[in-house]
Amino acid sequence: MEGIIGKWLINASFVSAIVSLVFYGLAAREDDIKKIKWAHVFFTLKGLFLLMASVVLVKLIFDHQFQYYYVFNYTSLDLAPKYLWSAFYGGQEGSFMLWILFSWISGFMLIKWTRDPYRAPVMFFLVLTQVFLISMIVGWKWDGFNLGASPFRTIAEEMPDAPFIQANPDFVPADGSGLNDLLKSPWMMIHPPVLFIGFAMMTIPYCFAMAALWKRKYNEWVSPALPWTLGANLALLTAIFLGGYWAYITLSFGGYWAWDPVENASLVPWLIGTAGIHTMIIQRKSAVAQKSSLLFAILAYIAIVYETFLTRSGILADSSVHSFVDLGLYNQLLIFMLVVIIAGLGMFFYRYKELPSPDQEHGVLTREFMTVSGAMALFILGAVIILGTSSPIIGLLFNENPTPPEISFYNDWSMPIAIVMALMTVIGQMLFWQKHDSESLSTALIQPLMVTSFVTILAIMIYDVRNFYYMFYLFAGFFAITGNLWVLIRLAMKQPKLIGGTTTHVGFGLLLVGILFSSAYNSPLLDPRTADYNERVLAGEVTDEQGFRVSQTVEMLELKLNTPKILNGRYEVNYGGYSIDNQNRPGQQTYALSFKDLKTDRVFYMNPEVYPMLTTSTADNIQWSVDPDVRTGWLHDIYLYVAGSSYIEKVNNRNATNAVMQNVSDSADSLSQNTMSIEQVVSFRRGENKELGPYIFRFNDFIMVDSTDVPNERGVGVRAQIDFTHIPSNTQYSLEPLFAVYNEDGESYTASFPVNIEAYELEVRFTKLDPENDSIELTIVGLPEGLEDEWILIVAEKKPLISVVWAGTFLLLIGFSISIFRHWGRERKLSV
Amino acid sequence: MKPKLILGIIAIVAFTSLLLYNFGESISTYTDFEKAETMKSAHVPGTWESERDYGFSRETMQFSFYMKDESGEVKKVIYSKPKPNNFEQADRLVVIGEMRNDIFYASEMLMKCPSKYNATDAESYGAQPVAAGIQGK
Repeated sequence: MEGIIGKWLINASFVSAIVSLVFYGLAAREDDIKKIKWAHVFFTLKGLFLLMASVVLVKLIFDHQFQYYYVFNYTSLDLAPKYLWSAFYGGQEGSFMLWILFSWISGFMLIKWTRDPYRAPVMFFLVLTQVFLISMIVGWKWDGFNLGASPFRTIAEEMPDAPFIQANPDFVPADGSGLNDLLKSPWMMIHPPVLFIGFAMMTIPYCFAMAALWKRKYNEWVSPALPWTLGANLALLTAIFLGGYWAYITLSFGGYWAWDPVENASLVPWLIGTAGIHTMIIQRKSAVAQKSSLLFAILAYIAIVYETFLTRSGILADSSVHSFVDLGLYNQLLIFMLVVIIAGLGMFFYRYKELPSPDQEHGVLTREFMTVSGAMALFILGAVIILGTSSPIIGLLFNENPTPPEISFYNDWSMPIAIVMALMTVIGQMLFWQKHDSESLSTALIQPLMVTSFVTILAIMIYDVRNFYYMFYLFAGFFAITGNLWVLIRLAMKQPKLIGGTTTHVGFGLLLVGILFSSAYNSPLLDPRTADYNERVLAGEVTDEQGFRVSQTVEMLELKLNTPKILNGRYEVNYGGYSIDNQNRPGQQTYALSFKDLKTDRVFYMNPEVYPMLTTSTADNIQWSVDPDVRTGWLHDIYLYVAGSSYIEKVNNRNATNAVMQNVSDSADSLSQNTMSIEQVVSFRRGENKELGPYIFRFNDFIMVDSTDVPNERGVGVRAQIDFTHIPSNTQYSLEPLFAVYNEDGESYTASFPVNIEAYELEVRFTKLDPENDSIELTIVGLPEGLEDEWILIVAEKKPLISVVWAGTFLLLIGFSISIFRHWGRERKLSV
Repeated sequence: MKPKLILGIIAIVAFTSLLLYNFGESISTYTDFEKAETMKSAHVPGTWESERDYGFSRETMQFSFYMKDESGEVKKVIYSKPKPNNFEQADRLVVIGEMRNDIFYASEMLMKCPSKYNATDAESYGAQPVAAGIQGK
């Protein structure tokens, strides 16, 4: 029922959008006040309908109406409310809705603040993009032809041929298939909304550029479009940062950036948008770059639509780790993209001849030349990255079945471009605020250059940089930092409102330096033996059984319980056991590792986790996922995850045994009979668990007992609450062995009483109490002899100066925000 | 034509051709085990043979498994890193590395997972009723 309402609301929204599009088009052509009022009415209706449809979808999600495919596919009963909420935009359809809603809200601001003659045509193009977006979720069907995929389709509509639908068309799943565990993160909750705010805002410079081309007013559009472009860039950069940070602390590839097509696709609109910001700023100041401002405004949005096409059409299926569900929207997305490109570039070239040109030539050492060159460099970098990302399409020129380019392609091209950019920022900023000839410029650069050289040499020595290319890159990065800081300080004293741009350039320099150190000087933490092995591998001295040279180094190591190892000669690392937690993620192990920094004698702890992926695991086939722990620091981060452990191996073996030997019911017993019984004394802190052979013992807490339990009435007793697990069969018991102290004939005695676990022929006694350390000792009889030690495999890395990457990003964000306030403040005053 | 314009065009053409040349060099083609024998670094897509032995060896610190390429040939793959997340989940793998003596040494592995982000095939869905407890109503 709600689903049908939802579908009709989307239909109504779609129709309203088309009607308002027509009215805006007429209003723009005829400059008709009455028509534009009607257009506003339908524009408002369009959004209201869509808002109501979103409310319906959110309600379906919160009511767990699993007969709806969207609800089934992205949620489950056990999902926390905040993730139910984020499931609204977790899938393709819902994320389109969110995008449209943000675009609608920006539309209201445009209506309020845009001046004529731009208002009607700007709204026309904005609504045009929204018509396309809504068409993606209407879900209309004419035999064989589909328009969009509705978020309100039921499972029966989604797959009418499935056998369980044929058997029972009205069936409702008892539970949904849930949200991917990796996405259950607060970072992933806010990442998509921020991204779609960026998408919605980046539409607006495109609309302004198109309106300018339509109305042949090529200069005035820049001022109102500039704050929107800045806002879009701020949102996109925030989204990129959130995504990168999430990847760094959640995934096991150990970085914030991997040149994955989806990541690239988010970076390119940002780069082109930033190019547009440069040309718009200089166009406002000096009436140059009119053509490039229009072009970049158009291209930035094309890049967004192209990104949408790449990630949502299924074309990246082979080359990216994360693309969306393929909803069969390929053709529709392609048409959307082609319309945006043909309308944009078509209008641009149609008007090209009459577009204004700068009235005078500007020399190299002018702010006009430097700013436009900076924009070009940003655009070229964007173009290189688009080329690499488009390998599934452009690669077809080279072979039939192209793979993505090697990572080195991106690094090799972006590094020199970044160096050129870094050098240009300083000269550009110096010229931007003050006129210089080559002589006065050189004078002004002397001090920053001296500081840069000093800092570069220092960094080269500290980090033992030996690569000349890196040295030059570092020099450029530090030059961008110091040079721009120079300008920034002077500017802040005179006109603090104008420091936005300079701040972003300092941030850019920091980003460059941080990126180099954190990626090129990222080093694995290894024990001497592994390090020695790796050296021999690199020297070509290691061969495998067949006599081939081993070329791959080992970047992980094994730690045995309470057997410390010294890593990189600097850290003494000890593995102190693990605990199992069922609260957050059922079956999650938290591993306790202590690090002692031998230089400073300081001790810190790291607690990486491993958990079963709920959505894809079954009792017999657990798929483990790792959750790394990152210790952040100013100079370096330590990144660590557990790649395997004796516990995981036993659980996996149990599942393998279950699968193979279903008929041998007591395989576990036969195992234990083969081994000799011995007595073993084990101590536990409160809350600690220990793995002993096939068993886990966990000491939860003390239970005070009244004196009736104690043999002699004058005694006192305490029980230990122990959770016992037999890993191979996953059988669990709760034990409460008693420890008593009593007086007899003036002497005190202690007594412990055996608790038997008959199934495994074990006897457990509580033999010692150590209240000072909050720990106990258990004596266990019946454990197999020659227990294998508890072990874990860890991958640990030391990543220098990641903090500088974040600092650079934050400075960029702050700089953009300052600029938004300045340009937006000016615009608001003008439009009242 | 102005000499400046000519210089500009030459620069653009030179840059573009260098870029495209380098791009062409850095992409490779998806292939199978047989052709990978002659290649230095090959991308081989395929599926994991889950019946055969697989796992991580603590002695050699390597993860090994058997993979069937798209021509139906099954070969052992050795990967000198821990077992990747979601390995068992992947309905398709791409191994990147070189073939030596009938064993494929992968330096990188990509998993295509039918995760929440990109699964819709009816097969994984059809298997769901058992796991997720779908009932008729």
